[in-house]
Amino acid sequence: MKILIVDDSSTMRRIIGNVVMQLGFSRDDFDEAEDGVKAWKILGESQYDIILTDWNMPNMNGLELVQKVRSGGNHQKVPIIMITTEGGKGEVITALKAGVNNYIVKPFSAEILKEKLDGVLKK
Amino acid sequence: MSMSQEEIEALMSGLDIQEDESPAPEVQEPEPEPAPVIEDDNTSMSEDDIAELIAQTDVPSEETQEDSVEALTEDTVSSENIDDLINSIEDSSSDTQDDESENIDDILASIDGMDESIPEAPVAPSAVETPEVNAEPAVESIPSEPEKEAIAKDWTDGQIDQGVFPFPVEKNTKVVNQLSEVATDSEEKASKIFDVLSFILDENNEIQKNSKKMDEFLIKQIVLLDSLSKKFPNISSFKTNLELAQSLQTVPQDIIDRTNAENSQLFEAMELMQFHDINRQKIERVMSVIKKLSTYLNNLFEDETDYHDVATAKHIHGDVNSNLVDEQDLDALIAEFGN
Repeated sequence: MKILIVDDSSTMRRIIGNVVMQLGFSRDDFDEAEDGVKAWKILGESQYDIILTDWNMPNMNGLELVQKVRSGGNHQKVPIIMITTEGGKGEVITALKAGVNNYIVKPFSAEILKEKLDGVLKK
Repeated sequence: MSMSQEEIEALMSGLDIQEDESPAPEVQEPEPEPAPVIEDDNTSMSEDDIAELIAQTDVPSEETQEDSVEALTEDTVSSENIDDLINSIEDSSSDTQDDESENIDDILASIDGMDESIPEAPVAPSAVETPEVNAEPAVESIPSEPEKEAIAKDWTDGQIDQGVFPFPVEKNTKVVNQLSEVATDSEEKASKIFDVLSFILDENNEIQKNSKKMDEFLIKQIVLLDSLSKKFPNISSFKTNLELAQSLQTVPQDIIDRTNAENSQLFEAMELMQFHDINRQKIERVMSVIKKLSTYLNNLFEDETDYHDVATAKHIHGDVNSNLVDEQDLDALIAEFGN
C-alpha cells in the first residue's frame, strides 16, 4: 500500500504522515509532494494506492491536480481524499464534482482521517 | 459557510449535491513567498556578537570606581577654582564683546537667511544637562555633526510617534514583507517543534521496547527465584530476591503505560500544530487583501494625463497660519525695507 501526501506546508505533511503511521503504515509506505506539479511528476514515476491532497497550493493547486489525475493516466481510479481549510459548501461540491472521493476540513483529528481512509480503502 | 463533517458525510452520500448550487469558488492560490529579506542595515546580532561587544565595553568595576573618584577630584578642583574661572570668563567675554558686536550683523544676517519654516528641534538630553564651567566662549557649544544627527533623529522619531510623519518605507516596515517573513519563519519554527516532538516519540518507543525486555527478564527471574526458594528454603536470599523481583514486576508495565499516555499527548500536540497551517493561510489571505488594495489604490491615483508637478503656494488667504501677513504688516514691512 503506497500513499502520496500532497501539501505545501511541511508541518501538515508531517502531521498527516504521523497519522498514517499510527494506522500501521511505515515511513516507506508514503511519499510527499509540496504542490500539484511535483505530485504529478511523482505520480508519473510510481504507482500509488491513495492520494491525500491539500487544495490551496502554489504552482498547481489540489483541485487542478484532482482534475488532471481524473482526466487519464495510471491513477485515474485511485482514491483521492482532499484535506483542506476550505470548509464552504460550494468548495466541497466543487471538489466532489472534480472527482475527490472524500473531503476533510482542517483542523481534523487522527480519528477522522482514520475513518475516511478506512472508508475509501474498503471501496 | 463552513461545513461540519456530518454535512460533508451527507454530501458524500449524494443527498445534497445539486447542479445549480453556488458557483465554483475562485480557487485561491497563495502568492509565492518572496525570497527571505536580507537586510544590509539593521542586521540582527547573534548572542556571540553581543557577548563580544559587552566584553569590549566592559570595564573592571575597580577601574570604574577609580575613574569616577578621579573625575570627582577633578570636579572638586574645578569648583575650588570657580572664582578664577568666572573671572577669566568675564575677562574673555569683555575682550570678545567688541568682536562680537562687530560680528552681530553677520550673525543676524545669517539668522535672517534661515528658513522660518524649519521647526525647532527638541533639545537633546545631553544639552539639558548642566553645562560645564568652561573658559571657552559660548560659540564653541554648537553641536557637532553626530549630535545634530541625534537631535534630528529624536525629532523625527517624535513626529512619527505622534502620527505626523509616516514610517519611512524600509524593508522592516513594508507590511507584506513583514507578514511574509512571519509566515515563513513560523513555518520553519513549527518544523523544528515537530522535530522535537518526533524525537520524544522515538525515544518513548525505545523506552517501551526496553521496558518490554525488562518485563520478560523479570518474569524469568521470578520463575527461577521461585523454584530456587522452594528447593532451598533455608537460603533467605532467594526468598528476598524473589520478593524484590515480584515487587518490581509492575514497574516495566508502569513505564509502558506512562509513555503511552505521553505519546497520546504528543500526538495531540502534533494535531494542534495544524493551527499553524491555518494561521499561515489567514496571513496569506491578509497579504492578498493588502496587495489587491495596493493595486486598487495605484489604479485610483494613477494619472494618465501629462501632468507635471507645479509650484504651489505656501500661504494662501484663508489659511490658519500665524505667518500670514495682514495689510498693516505688509505696509510696515514695505516701509521698513524702504525699497
